[in-house]
Amino acid sequence: MAENSGTDPTVDSNVVENAASDRTMIVVTVKTPKDKEEITISEDSSVAQFKEEISKRFNAKQDQLVLIFAGKILKDGDTLNQHSIKDGLTVHLVIKTAPNDTISSASSSGTPQANSSVNPSSAPNDSTTPDTGPTPASTQPPNLLSGFGDLSNLSGMGMGSANFMEMQQQMQRQLMSNPEMLSQIMDNPLVQNMMSNPDLMRQMIVTNPQMQQLMERNPEISHMLNNPELMRQTMELARNPAMMQEMMRNQDRALSNLESIPGGYNALRRMYTDIQEPMFSAAREQFGNNPFSALGGNLDSGVQPSRTENREPLPNPWGPPGTTPLESRGTGASTTTTTSAGGTAPSASNPLGINASGLGNGVFGSPGMQSLMQQISENPQLMQNMLSAPYMRSMMQSLAQNPDLASQGSNPTATTNPSQQQQQLMQQMLQMFAGGGGGSLTVTPEVRFQQQLDQLSAMGFINREANLQALIATGGDINAAIERLLGSQPS
Amino acid sequence: MVTCALPLLSDKMAVAAGSGCLRPGVGTEIILPGVKVPRNFRLLEELEEGQKGVGDGTVSWGLEDDEDMTLTRWRGMIIGPPRTIYENRMYSLKVECGPRYPEAPPFVRFVTKINLNGVHNSNGVVDTRAVSALAKWQNSYSIRVVLQELRRLMMCKENMKLPQPPEGQIYTN
Repeated sequence: MAENSGTDPTVDSNVVENAASDRTMIVVTVKTPKDKEEITISEDSSVAQFKEEISKRFNAKQDQLVLIFAGKILKDGDTLNQHSIKDGLTVHLVIKTAPNDTISSASSSGTPQANSSVNPSSAPNDSTTPDTGPTPASTQPPNLLSGFGDLSNLSGMGMGSANFMEMQQQMQRQLMSNPEMLSQIMDNPLVQNMMSNPDLMRQMIVTNPQMQQLMERNPEISHMLNNPELMRQTMELARNPAMMQEMMRNQDRALSNLESIPGGYNALRRMYTDIQEPMFSAAREQFGNNPFSALGGNLDSGVQPSRTENREPLPNPWGPPGTTPLESRGTGASTTTTTSAGGTAPSASNPLGINASGLGNGVFGSPGMQSLMQQISENPQLMQNMLSAPYMRSMMQSLAQNPDLASQGSNPTATTNPSQQQQQLMQQMLQMFAGGGGGSLTVTPEVRFQQQLDQLSAMGFINREANLQALIATGGDINAAIERLLGSQPS
Repeated sequence: MVTCALPLLSDKMAVAAGSGCLRPGVGTEIILPGVKVPRNFRLLEELEEGQKGVGDGTVSWGLEDDEDMTLTRWRGMIIGPPRTIYENRMYSLKVECGPRYPEAPPFVRFVTKINLNGVHNSNGVVDTRAVSALAKWQNSYSIRVVLQELRRLMMCKENMKLPQPPEGQIYTN
């Protein structure tokens, strides 16, 4: 807007208004973050009158204007005198986008959804605005819909002060800050329809520049995206929070068990830093929650995600590989693709770098053991299934707690005793894990979580004790630890 | 307003006061090395800057009570930065400039409820250690600097997405 200082129309109208009285006119500068205007007004006028002038000059409604002077908000009933507003002084103006009058415009600005090529990754968020715009309006606080409010500023599409990306980011922020809105959006049949179309989802994800960056760094992710089964499962996950929770719970449980294995912690850490972290950070910016967290670099959820609690019996880890049920086809697929990238080097699915052939010497003399190892390395899913068996877990835990037992396993002569064979098999596995991971049996939590602690302190969580507690409680899961820390932060 | 009933401690101070004080425009201080501008001069200057809207218009400050001769209690306002969760909100603060200001940093507390790292959840008091302008206070800093720093904190990654209480709530204690 061009700067007008006391142009004739303004002066005339003022004169007309104050025709009866001969008041002194003062020139007050009204400043917004973007704009500055000089407004001439009678020094005796009230704030309401002042706002009237301002609303004309700034083309905004009076109830959208918030005036600030000297650190105080000017209320309509006050006078300029009250606040000692004199000639030449500056008043700050904020034009609020009031929530109520943007509902209708929100539905009309649903047009952005049609053009999915412009900003495909934002489409699922934007397309819901026409449907969810009216519903949350009455129940949600105003600031939520100020995101919608910016939509109203887009006359047509993508024009106006708020560019598309900004507005879309704002939408997402609103989404993240308000979980009910997210679930409402998810329940929306339109969204569900779209999400059940894997091609569309894939395209949307791929064209997002952040995801592209991520994919460059981690080719496994692009493999994952190319697998339609996987995509479908992901979308199911994202759609159904209960299912998601179940999956997360399984993953967490399995991961924490893995930690108790010597060397397992290092493997976990590797897995996390290589795969999960960039996904998390990219996905968090994008989605608010992380629908891929369970899939990127998932090691151990060998249990089929279901909408209700899983009541199926867990698979028999010692059964022949052909008959092990392909439950976790989704996660299995992801880990299979990662194996192709990793070979026997530590990768997400094969974190401990199990090289079956290398284990032939000495301890693993028995051909049965060897073939088992080979099968494991070729079919990572088998390993998953193995590790997820309940008795396996307890065995591992007890073995981890009893280092003597583990060290006994290294004695080759002990393998001849058939009654102990099964147990020793486990010990040998443990040895192998230890050999592959290179960890020690006695690690303090602080050492174990050293890397996480560094990350947390880099993020600004300076209370090391609290960080450590949170990490211990969440078993090294940085993001859960952050949630804990934020939830309990007093300041 | 406070008149020059303040003792002028030295000739140098007189120079500073006479030439630097109360002149309209940005950057009114003439900073002579080794000279300590008296507290009230500083505060009057800040008062004027607040009234003239010095700065980018995203923060505002002024005396809480115009009759306050000691220039101790101030009110500040921060406009929530765009593209953060604080956007479109106005945060009211109380700033208290003690007797040792500007050698000592002011006490700052939020009146409007906010969820921000470094601000106590219960009473809105800003933790001096969490805000670098307060922790490493210099006497050339001002209320504006503190408010702008708080606003910058709102734009930090670790703060910009923190869930906020409903708009309009204030701390009662």
